[in-house]
Amino acid sequence: MNAAETPLILKAVGKRWPGSPQPVLDAVDLTLQPGTLAWVGGANGAGKTTLLRIAAGLIAPERGSTRVWGNSPSHDGARFRRLVSFLPAGDRGLYARLTVVQQLKLSARLWLLDPARVEAIVAGTLARFALQELACRRVDRLSMGQRQRVRLASTFMVGAPLVLLDEPLTSLDTDGAELVHDAIEDVRADGGAVLWCSPTGERPHCQLDQALTLTNGALYVA
Amino acid sequence: MRPLYAYMALLRRDLTVYLSYRTRLVSQLLTSLFSITLFYYVSRLVHVSGFATPTSYFSFVVVGIAMVGVLYSCFTIPDLVRQELVAGTFDRLLLSPFGATSSILAMALFPLLYSFVLATATLLIACAVFGLHLHLATVPLAIPVMALTLVALLPLGMLFAALTIVVKQGSVGTSWVIALFSIVGGLYFPVSVLPSWLRGLAQLQPFTPATGLLRHLLVDASGAPAPAHSLLKLFLFAVALVPLSTFALSRAIRFGQARGTIIEY
Repeated sequence: MNAAETPLILKAVGKRWPGSPQPVLDAVDLTLQPGTLAWVGGANGAGKTTLLRIAAGLIAPERGSTRVWGNSPSHDGARFRRLVSFLPAGDRGLYARLTVVQQLKLSARLWLLDPARVEAIVAGTLARFALQELACRRVDRLSMGQRQRVRLASTFMVGAPLVLLDEPLTSLDTDGAELVHDAIEDVRADGGAVLWCSPTGERPHCQLDQALTLTNGALYVA
Repeated sequence: MRPLYAYMALLRRDLTVYLSYRTRLVSQLLTSLFSITLFYYVSRLVHVSGFATPTSYFSFVVVGIAMVGVLYSCFTIPDLVRQELVAGTFDRLLLSPFGATSSILAMALFPLLYSFVLATATLLIACAVFGLHLHLATVPLAIPVMALTLVALLPLGMLFAALTIVVKQGSVGTSWVIALFSIVGGLYFPVSVLPSWLRGLAQLQPFTPATGLLRHLLVDASGAPAPAHSLLKLFLFAVALVPLSTFALSRAIRFGQARGTIIEY
């Protein structure tokens, strides 16, 4: 399968933080095939978030390359960004004084979704992530778990075929975790791919196509 | 067409957030009222050379006070970028197909438009409370001139936003620039009273011609420069600074991405 048909190819990716003697990523290779879910575990500070940020095009590696369906973040910026959706770890990234529905509509507009379909897409996303009752509530009045649902809803709503998840189950209850698994299955069924990173002890309870661990800057089979 | 919707969405977001703080408008209108009141009574007490009557100085300074808000709004853009970084929302803008540079440009729209509204309110307060006489025949012309002014001033905020992305501080040097522009921009006194070396500085930024031009159209106070000359200057500043600031912003983003510090704060 060539690069243009492959959701994600990280090739010999290296990154060293200033002042650090060891690289956080050292010639990392990772390929995600269509319709697959890969999990990368590792200790705190192992470089999982850095790996995801490089895959998302948020930061550039010092060495190596990132390709998403053959597109490079530096050379095919706009096309690359349409193909990738990234959920950062933590509970940030929401506008506190917007309501849930305003938040989702803003994301839809920033993702340049079809204006005629935005209302329907947002309504569908609210239903999919069980957020209808919270639609008109301000984000700063939500619980942590509810905020995480909004962040996940925003991540999956844009319809990117490559989804990068950094600790997606943070603060979620069992029902919330099920919603994440369902959303991942939808991406896989559509021929997309999902890369999920979380600490070693938080391996996801769903069918994985690859399970890897990041140690000393390198990926190993978990 | 879709980017236009994204611009409107960010504008609507900022309006929504602004309206969620209910006392902000009242507070800002009161600030304008107090500033105008202060200068009204100063103009009654002090004879200012170059102005025939206290009223003509009051007309002059009211336009300056209205423009101060525009000046401040222009330099809020770096702070807005820093707020996005701190809130963790900047990476969402950066990774969206709309893109970071367009998003920052869109983020500047609300403060600039709001400053236009506040400047208008300031003039109306001065008319209603202190009897300021506006040249009604030329007031409509002030609207396109104000639009050109905002386009010429926006790049200054964008340049400082680029600096914020690199050094992570929100107000690096902006307070100095605002203070400098307040002195050399002809806000409170005519540029002609400045020493010659400072008068030169007054011509090197868009704020002086913008203020002079608006003053000419709104109140025709003494000291206002020839409109065609100021209009040309303003236009040239806009043409030169818009691409320069866009380039600087995109370079700053690339720099942050290469170093890996782009979303640090």
